Amino acid sequence: MRQARADEYAEFAAVRAGHLYRSACLLTAGDTHLAEDLVQETLGRLYVSWRRVARVENPAGYAQTVLMRTFLTHQRRRSSTERATDVLPDVPDDGAGRDMPLRLTLLEALARLPAKDRAVVVLRYWEDRSIEETAQAMNASSAAVRTRCVRALGRLRELLGEDLGEYARP
Amino acid sequence: MPFDQHGTPFEERLSADLRQAVDAFDTDRLALVTAGELRGRRRLLLRRRAAVAGGVASLALVGVGGALLGPGTGSSAHRDGASVGTGRHTATAAPTPSPVSGDQMIRTLEGLLPKGRFSKAEARGTNDRPGPYVQLVYDDGKGAAAISVGLGRVEPGSDEARATTECPRKVFVHYDACSTTRLTGGSVVMVLQGYEYPDRRVDTKWWSAELVTPEGHHVSVSEWNAAAEKGAPISRAEPPLSAAQLRKLAAAGAWRDAIDAMPPDTHKPAPQPTATADSVAIAPTLSSLLPKGVFKVSEDSGDDSGYGYLVLDDGKGKNFVQVNVQADMSDAEGDLFGSDAEVLADGTKVATHQVPSEKGGAGAVMWTVDTIRTDGRRVVIGELNSGAPNEDATRKTPALTMGQLREIALSPKWWL
Repeated sequence: MRQARADEYAEFAAVRAGHLYRSACLLTAGDTHLAEDLVQETLGRLYVSWRRVARVENPAGYAQTVLMRTFLTHQRRRSSTERATDVLPDVPDDGAGRDMPLRLTLLEALARLPAKDRAVVVLRYWEDRSIEETAQAMNASSAAVRTRCVRALGRLRELLGEDLGEYARP
Repeated sequence: MPFDQHGTPFEERLSADLRQAVDAFDTDRLALVTAGELRGRRRLLLRRRAAVAGGVASLALVGVGGALLGPGTGSSAHRDGASVGTGRHTATAAPTPSPVSGDQMIRTLEGLLPKGRFSKAEARGTNDRPGPYVQLVYDDGKGAAAISVGLGRVEPGSDEARATTECPRKVFVHYDACSTTRLTGGSVVMVLQGYEYPDRRVDTKWWSAELVTPEGHHVSVSEWNAAAEKGAPISRAEPPLSAAQLRKLAAAGAWRDAIDAMPPDTHKPAPQPTATADSVAIAPTLSSLLPKGVFKVSEDSGDDSGYGYLVLDDGKGKNFVQVNVQADMSDAEGDLFGSDAEVLADGTKVATHQVPSEKGGAGAVMWTVDTIRTDGRRVVIGELNSGAPNEDATRKTPALTMGQLREIALSPKWWL
């Protein structure tokens, strides 16, 4: 990689790493070790194709898409039948102990969703992507994304209660 | 299913709470970035070593300057981007029929419905983005009801195709009835009788039929017991069409004709250059195309698309087999396929080579079958009689015959 391009990549990676990591934490439902692994893999892939990525209209969005697909590939490899993680998620100590109940509740609920449903939730409600954009990132049809979204929301409602805010906050 | 729930209070809170929840997650970003770059370098090195070593790479280099080196390392990177649009559509081999206008869509729907009054019709034709759609208000005399039909394509046999016609589990979505039926001809249709608002804050009923044909046509029909999806008062106890009628409406041949008339890309967002995931995963596909029960695979390139390899052994020594799938190589066709290339009935060209492995070790040879379709899609498979580029031969000739390589390269599986 030429120096100028290498610098450009390094700057991009430094700026985006935090956001990618947080997305990965939601995708993995709080498995921070796996989240780090996914982000490293994503950055590695971006490094390889940086020439092209740098020309894309929205490299940040593109990076998120690569993360999403890296996650889905990981899930597929791990088990084709596994539907959700049963392991209690790692929860970081934020020092002041704030928001812990909320985070636990949400992450626990996310952990109980099938991987693809979780991906839809993260893309739609944390990344704020449209159905179309979500479908594109996941290599799925809009109809499939809608179906997943309806199902995931239904499940989250069930797990968190209709009034999520009331339930989640202490 | 033309409804989008984004914006309910639950969803808004979910969004807000997700943001709040991830705030505390932080890590050593510099370490992440450094580790990421390291992985990238390693990946690049691996690809270069794998691809440059064999004769396949040197052939490609003649024409396109590094096309085989993988995304980002060659001048042909944009071609991989184009593959998003051209590589995935197998249902459109026949010449595209003439487009269907929005007005025709409306007339088609009106013609397929039982007698009644129609109003407020709106539609998009097959050439409009984001794809053909028609909706209208229908009144059979027992109350006005919104009906809509959306058309598109799904990849036949894919997870998406299955998910589209699979009834959701009742614990996830509240509905009164759902059934999936297989029709003569192989189409599968799901009819779901549920509610517009999953939380039932208004009891608007939303019934829908999702039909997927073996060719990948996707017809989505919805009806409500109100004159609009949302915000209109309930006008009747139930939507006008029964489950059987919905099924029949979705299965009408006119919709499939309209889908056939869609240009290949109207149903998809504009292609975005993507690094790896838009065509099939090479190694698993290659693995599935090998003669059954003959080889033990000791190494593979994972789920990467575009370029991949396997190291396999039939008990007589290791072979390194690599495949490159490219979306549009038409501009390099002249360099890659000489006048002696074989031309198949459908116009696909096939070139074969058996040469000493350029960078291979002692006795290593590279056998290659290179194929290009009339639209520029290229599959090239190369096989070494050694376990890796640069390594010495493990056997006199590679394990897969030229005939087997040819069969693998011409498989439609590369373009699912």
